[in-house]
Amino acid sequence: MKVNRTRVTIAAALGLVVGIGLTGCAPSGETGPDETGGTLTVWVDSNRVTELEGIAQQFEADKGITVELVQKEFGDVMKEDFVKQVPTGKGPDVIIGAHDWLGLFVQNGVVAPLELGDRASEYSDVAIRAMSYEGTLYGLPVSLENVALLRNTALADATPATWDELVAVGQAAVDAGTAEYPVIIPSGPESDPYHLYPLQTSFGAPLFGLNADGSYNPADLQLGSAGGEAFAAALVEWGAEGVLNTNITGDIARDEFAAGKAPFMISGPWNLPAFQAAGIDYAIEAIPAAGPETPTPFVGVQGFFVSAKSENPLAANEFVVNYLGTEEMQLALFHAGGRPPALLSAFEAASAENPDVGAFGEVGLEGVPMPSIPEMGAVWNYWGATEAALVNNTAGDPAEAWQTMAGRIESDIAG
Amino acid sequence: MSASRPRIRRRLLRAGKYVVIVFVSIVSAFPILYIISASLNPFGSLVGANALFAQVSLDNYIGLFSRPAQPYAAWFLNTLVIGLISSAGTVLLGGFAAYAFSRMRFTGRRVGLVSILLIQMFPQLLGVVAIFLLLTAIGEVFPAIGLDTQLGLILVYLGGALGVNTYLMYGFFNTVPTSIDEAAKLDGAGHARIFFTIILRLSAPVLAVVGLLSFIGTVSEFVVASVVLTDPAKQTLAVGLFQFVTQETSANWPIFAAGAVLAALPVVVLFFVLERYIVGGLTAGAVK
Amino acid sequence: MTPTVRSRRLTASPPSLTTLLVKVVALGIVDAIAVVVAFVLFGHGEWFVATLALLTAAVLTWIYLRRGALPAKYLAPGTVFLLVFQLFVIGYSGYIAFTNYGDGHVGSKDDAVAVLITKSLTRIPDSPAYPMVVVERGGELSFLVTDPDGVALVGGDGRPLEPAPDADFSAGKAVALPGYTTLNFAQMLQQQTRIAAMSVPLGDDLDEGAMRTANGSEAYVYRASMHYEEERDVFVDVATGTVYADTGTGAFVSERGVELMPGWKVDVGFENFGRAITEESIRGPLLSVILWTFVFAGVTVAATFGIGVLLAMMLNDPFLRGRRIFRVLMILPYAFPAFLSALIWSGLLNPQFGFVNQVLLGGADIPWLTDPVLAKVSVLIVNVWLGYPYMFLVATGALQSIPMEYIEAAKVDGAGRWATFRKVTLPLLMVTMAPLLIASFAFNFNNFNVIYLLTEGGPQDISTEMNVGATDILITLVYKVAFGETSGRDYGLASAFAIIIFLLVAVISVLSFRKTKALEELH
Repeated sequence: MKVNRTRVTIAAALGLVVGIGLTGCAPSGETGPDETGGTLTVWVDSNRVTELEGIAQQFEADKGITVELVQKEFGDVMKEDFVKQVPTGKGPDVIIGAHDWLGLFVQNGVVAPLELGDRASEYSDVAIRAMSYEGTLYGLPVSLENVALLRNTALADATPATWDELVAVGQAAVDAGTAEYPVIIPSGPESDPYHLYPLQTSFGAPLFGLNADGSYNPADLQLGSAGGEAFAAALVEWGAEGVLNTNITGDIARDEFAAGKAPFMISGPWNLPAFQAAGIDYAIEAIPAAGPETPTPFVGVQGFFVSAKSENPLAANEFVVNYLGTEEMQLALFHAGGRPPALLSAFEAASAENPDVGAFGEVGLEGVPMPSIPEMGAVWNYWGATEAALVNNTAGDPAEAWQTMAGRIESDIAG
Repeated sequence: MSASRPRIRRRLLRAGKYVVIVFVSIVSAFPILYIISASLNPFGSLVGANALFAQVSLDNYIGLFSRPAQPYAAWFLNTLVIGLISSAGTVLLGGFAAYAFSRMRFTGRRVGLVSILLIQMFPQLLGVVAIFLLLTAIGEVFPAIGLDTQLGLILVYLGGALGVNTYLMYGFFNTVPTSIDEAAKLDGAGHARIFFTIILRLSAPVLAVVGLLSFIGTVSEFVVASVVLTDPAKQTLAVGLFQFVTQETSANWPIFAAGAVLAALPVVVLFFVLERYIVGGLTAGAVK
Repeated sequence: MTPTVRSRRLTASPPSLTTLLVKVVALGIVDAIAVVVAFVLFGHGEWFVATLALLTAAVLTWIYLRRGALPAKYLAPGTVFLLVFQLFVIGYSGYIAFTNYGDGHVGSKDDAVAVLITKSLTRIPDSPAYPMVVVERGGELSFLVTDPDGVALVGGDGRPLEPAPDADFSAGKAVALPGYTTLNFAQMLQQQTRIAAMSVPLGDDLDEGAMRTANGSEAYVYRASMHYEEERDVFVDVATGTVYADTGTGAFVSERGVELMPGWKVDVGFENFGRAITEESIRGPLLSVILWTFVFAGVTVAATFGIGVLLAMMLNDPFLRGRRIFRVLMILPYAFPAFLSALIWSGLLNPQFGFVNQVLLGGADIPWLTDPVLAKVSVLIVNVWLGYPYMFLVATGALQSIPMEYIEAAKVDGAGRWATFRKVTLPLLMVTMAPLLIASFAFNFNNFNVIYLLTEGGPQDISTEMNVGATDILITLVYKVAFGETSGRDYGLASAFAIIIFLLVAVISVLSFRKTKALEELH
């Protein structure tokens, strides 16, 4: 069939010509490792990117390597993208992250150990412990955050020494009509174990026991101690008194305190801008103990990690340790994010400038890093659900419910 | 008079209809009203926004566009582009397939019809890993359509073109009598001409519906988009807005509300534009 | 007498010049792309995919160049996308289900070994920082370090440190050695992967430790806490002597079952499927969750269909005023992305502060999302709110296709409104919509977004063994099990579940198709 053959020939000819042409400009199969003066890719969040630009330019000028800053939203998405992309070779060289991502990162082999040498002692102890996993340091700490007690100075003159007294003072304010809540504690349908942790530890029921080097021992669950049962009973009481309310989510809590409806609140530094904007006069203090022990809030540490499959390991390490780890950088990042710096000298300078930060930092020095083991997901879940049930008094006998929860967490961690 | 009873009945019926319709409209609309009011309330949060329209200001809208790390304008544009291209592609590809299913007889036709419905029943949420790996692999050969490209995302969406929407069109095509086809054939029209000039024109309602549904589906799609697009400047509204409320420390409801309100606009506008086609019926004159 | 017209099959008409040109150019491009793809893939060694690409292009070319094969010509474009982006995805998920891909098992074995080796190198406590430079001679790299006493030492991979008395010093640090070239930073970058991997022994005894550098300007002494023996393919803990062997499960495991992290991805056969069916945490609540999933999907479909059709018919009345406005109002729920609406509703239904309780019900205290039964009701209400506009839209379009003659004929026959609806409108509607109902059922069966964003599957019942809430449907349960459990995300397990759910839903759908004979066409 003449027509068919013509068609076929034309198509084939065209195809060949275009194909050869395209192949010429096809992407080369092997993209080799970064050549000289390659690029260092850094993932950073929106709060810190401007500060990093300055230091990145400096690094480029000094060392001749381009630093590419990629802005990503701080959170789970960034964490998961990192874990997904590094094994394929497409991940960044450096990433900003929260210390409790470490467990996941190490488990997947996507971060490389970081060597600070003697400089490690220049950072606060809590920060270094947080950035270490199983004894090895992985990240450069930059800032810390923790909760503390906020007092509305217009509604309460002083912070009492114990928690029960605090509740009484708050209740008095409610009775007098000057406040709506004795104290506001952010919660949610699954409660908020993070905010409640200082109170829990004051009963003598920390989450895990510590090893000699200060790291957590996941096999030593201390949640279910007698102190824990006392805490569980207290939860039921507080739920009945209105001190704890699972309907008050984080943003509701912030808005109610900003509206001046409570004399006290447990909060972190992230809410301060809202309170300042609302004109609340606040004081930052340590959380009073509800039990016999000292309250130790959870501390969250943010910092920079280096990818395990980075093709620029020397450059990345140099950048992180010697450029991001300087006092100026820590101060610059503090100015941007409002969190106490991890470098002790920078922290002192920052507290001098901003007493709020100093106050939070002081409270944080007594704190413990949040555990970063991969099993924490299940822990938060059971923990929160049980606390919520206790607050709403749907859990039955508090001690029993608490022990059941501890048992489940233990068996989940054991795998 | 015997004529008034049916008329009164008709009036009552119509009044009843109004009641129902108004009630449904209120139920549909009040969350929207709430969100609009929250978006206009500079201090809005869940608590504050309860007093509807207590404060009206455009602060949130201005704030929405002045966040360099969260480029709302870029998201909006991306969503429009991706949505329009995907839905146009879906209508075209689906239309072709529906035409084949409707007008032609071939082995595997029935199996094909059932399969295209069944294949789309795979839970997307659990398939994102495969999509991620697939696009990563494609990206090594063709970076332009690999991971973190909008073109790649569009191609993934086009993978779903042959699905329920095709079925809708197939059903509608079936209602166009084949006598029209025959008449056209007598006039010497080939299959392509019949498809483009007759079937498509007569199927305007279903094409409009499918286009709208596909657009809505693409705009709301969130799981795959968040896996594929990682650069904030390339992301879609769905992915971006979700970040506003899932931030660790405090959900940013007022800005989120403003963003959500604007996000609904394209769909509403599209509906207005297509409404004429959706409710325009088979006019008898088109056949002749 | 008019001649009988034999109905002829649609045939291809003789092509015009423009059509031919368009076809040839388009095919040319497709073939060209296929050739490029094949080249690159051959370059990567991916023979199978390359051949596949060429084959596809060949088939497409053949389809479009020959006469006839009309169905194929119309079906090909959509099918190509379907195959690549849907079927392949399903297939690949199926493949993943047979592996242990997930947290802790994401890379290859070589990657894992490399990371483990690096991890096991611990700096000897109090080891001082040794200032150093990297020097090169004859293509071989060495470290030139200055020890705390000011003595310069030089060594390299496998070459223990030796004193280098003739080193040049600058500010107390050895910076150059005769016969060697000192690398500046830029030059170091060119070899940075090599340099970072170098391990310079302190002495002949390997247990003394080795020097390594992370940034090229300081070196520390490291000791390996674990030693990798390549021949036996095991890791041996130096201190305790514990042997970690590769047991085929994708990680190095000691005899007592302690796993080294990270592991790597391996095939595990049917293990995931077995776990999916026998996993303790799932089996318990499984039945009640499946039941609720069916109820959820079924009620949603029935309610949205009923409301949608009802409204479509009501608004079909040409004498109703303001139809356009009402139509717009009614599709509003659908205009918002579903997950945004779910988030908004979760706020509206907050028992203490939500709009519904506070404003609409005047301060009522109804526990919409915290009471198990009410939570189920709320979830249904929200899902129906979200879904009825879809049915409404489709019904509106479908109603247009019902020829008025049928309705009028029914009226003439004396049928009342309800009878007309039942006997004429509804069956005709169902022809178009029955498959949609089935598809909608399948969609809501897997409707993760709404449930998760509204209640996270809660409220949780802490008395049960596991992590299941009152509104959990099958897919949220699977999500929690596969993605939230103790050891992070388990994609293998999740894919196994996906396949199982898919099969379940597919079987149900096929049976429903048979029952409703939905594929009977109407002419």
